Amino acid sequence: MQKIRRILVVLIPLLLAGAALTDGADAKDIVLSDEAGTCLGCHGKQGIVKTFENGELLSAYVSPEKFAASVHNFLPCSGCHSDFSSDNHPSRRFRSKKQYQIKTSRECRRCHGDQQLKENPIHAGLLRAEGEGKPAVCTECHGAHSVSPIKGGKVFASETQYCLGCHGHPLSMAFRNGEQLSLSVDKKLLDTSVHGKLSCSDCHYGFSSEEHPQRIFKSGREYTLASSESCRRCHFDKYSKTIESIHYTVLSKGNLKAPVCTDCHGAHSISGGSRERSLTTKRCQRCHPAIYDVYARSIHGKALFDEKNQDVPVCIDCHKAHDILNPHTLDYRERIPTMCSNCHANKAIMGKYGLSTDVVKTYLSDFHGVTLGFYRKQRESLDKPARPIAVCTDCHGTHNITSTRGTDAAVLKANLVQRCQQCHKDAPRDFPNTWLSHYEPNMKSAPLVFLVNLLYKIFIPVLVVGLFLQILLHIWRYAVDR
Amino acid sequence: MKEKETGMGERIRRFSTSLIVEHWVHVFAFVVLVVTGISQKFFSLDLSRWLILKLGGIDNVRLIHRCAGIVFMVAASVHIVGASVGIVLKKRQPSMVITKNDLTDAVRDLRYYLGAENSPALCDRYTYKQKFEYWGILTGGLLMIATGLVLWFPTFVVGFLPGQVIPVAKALHSNEALVIILLIAVWHIYNSIFSPEVFPLDTSIFTGYISRERMSREHPLELMRIENRTQDEAGRKRRRKARKLETEEMSR
Repeated sequence: MQKIRRILVVLIPLLLAGAALTDGADAKDIVLSDEAGTCLGCHGKQGIVKTFENGELLSAYVSPEKFAASVHNFLPCSGCHSDFSSDNHPSRRFRSKKQYQIKTSRECRRCHGDQQLKENPIHAGLLRAEGEGKPAVCTECHGAHSVSPIKGGKVFASETQYCLGCHGHPLSMAFRNGEQLSLSVDKKLLDTSVHGKLSCSDCHYGFSSEEHPQRIFKSGREYTLASSESCRRCHFDKYSKTIESIHYTVLSKGNLKAPVCTDCHGAHSISGGSRERSLTTKRCQRCHPAIYDVYARSIHGKALFDEKNQDVPVCIDCHKAHDILNPHTLDYRERIPTMCSNCHANKAIMGKYGLSTDVVKTYLSDFHGVTLGFYRKQRESLDKPARPIAVCTDCHGTHNITSTRGTDAAVLKANLVQRCQQCHKDAPRDFPNTWLSHYEPNMKSAPLVFLVNLLYKIFIPVLVVGLFLQILLHIWRYAVDR
Repeated sequence: MKEKETGMGERIRRFSTSLIVEHWVHVFAFVVLVVTGISQKFFSLDLSRWLILKLGGIDNVRLIHRCAGIVFMVAASVHIVGASVGIVLKKRQPSMVITKNDLTDAVRDLRYYLGAENSPALCDRYTYKQKFEYWGILTGGLLMIATGLVLWFPTFVVGFLPGQVIPVAKALHSNEALVIILLIAVWHIYNSIFSPEVFPLDTSIFTGYISRERMSREHPLELMRIENRTQDEAGRKRRRKARKLETEEMSR
């Protein structure tokens, strides 16, 4: 009997309010119930505090203005605080704030039944979690005395603020394979990210203050892959570059471990290009730790990590950031001298370290370099050469490049002949001397070559002038004789 | 060396068929070697790039160059062996050997060109100019063959010679090629095409014959020798022809 009455107490004002709302939504002069007036007599003042057994505190203050603006403003306080009435104020004990909140949330469910809640995917998810022993707290998202409807209700300063209403709190999402993903977003990280000024739905399209579709993913990885699709809506140039990359090729072959945008750039904490270049290498290290270790011991890696040198190449300088090509193709191999020459042909950079910029020029005018030049051209036409030709890395190494300074010439030569033998199978010990070692021939580096060139430089003009003089004399005499 | 009469004037046999063939082989090898070689030497020129790509890429061009090199090498060997055998065994006149006369001829011609002499030097089968060209090409050609082989088989060569031989061979091959090309393009082409004495073309190396008129001007000593040797035969020939004409007239 008491139960029925209690329900009526709630239902009748609800029906009345419903009628009032349909009559005119602009009815602003809502009159609070007498009971509410009585309660606010005390609770409308600051300073009333509830203490829990674990020592936690909760203010029992209710802002009369906010309550008046809430959708529940027509309800008497006992509509939700069912244990209380104007003449009954029991003293209750709770272990913690959380326990209190869970208990209070049950009050909401008296009116907002499971059937209604299930229609909303977020609530459906929360109900599932409740079944697993993780009860939800309605007031965490909706507020308590300031409760407002989601649709067309409370106006938030921004969409982000709206979303953070829930996602600023610990929230998680379960995937079909049982993985969990935290859905809470750190406001501080978001604000400092380059996307700080974007709205949530700029990336999470399909979501808004109106819509919150429920999506089901097999795994966390599948979710990440789907989410990274958002990036291309703005960064289409980068997206189209990634399509050419080895990572995309591997991904499209079914290897879901291949990195996508967010794996390197992060999601909510996304930052602009790093000025500290060593940070970039750390991103690659996550998947390529062995190569990272080799690189870190190379002349370039040591300078980067030990001396904080920002001139040396990091991974993306040779491999590029988005259109990372398969480095095992002949096509890629033939681009290597161009990559090295980006720095090693640059006088401004090389001057700092006392390095010669002739290295690229001498390579390109030598047998290997000339052949390479033609192979690159041929690759654009029909006659594709199937043979690799020696490029910088074949002698100097790739990730393990070391300096030749301070190394004994005999040791260098002995090491070099092994590199020669990779292509010139029976290269004898003196074979490295067949090469002018990145010097323009001069009296010191290659005296014989220098002298031969010099002699011909004198002989050829003398020959040509002599021959022409002879011819002219001959013609002149012939003309005179006639 | 036969003598022949034509309607236009007398023609004298200058080159045997084997020499004509030899010249053609050298023309072919030379052109192929120059086209494939120069485009490699001046690889950065647009024309070279276009040509090399048209010929199917740098590896193809190198292959063609080496094949033509073999042809040249064989032709040069045949020439040297043939000439040596001819001189040593058949006791033929060594007509290309440079003699003291060549030096005096050259000086005399120079004086003639400058107007200090009234007539040019009297030359034998080959003039000093032709000998200069011949020896220039022959020695240059041998150098090209040697250095070409060194560049073709570097690992083998460095097995017994110091490594620097390879870049030296490359410098020699590349520079000497230019010398030979200039000799041919300037000297040979002038003397056999543009020289006013032969213009528009000295056909003797293609037909094997030279006019008596040119012979008497350019190779008077050889002409004299030929005519002395073949005087009797020539006289007989002329008499036979005269008799033939006589009988023809009588029958008319």
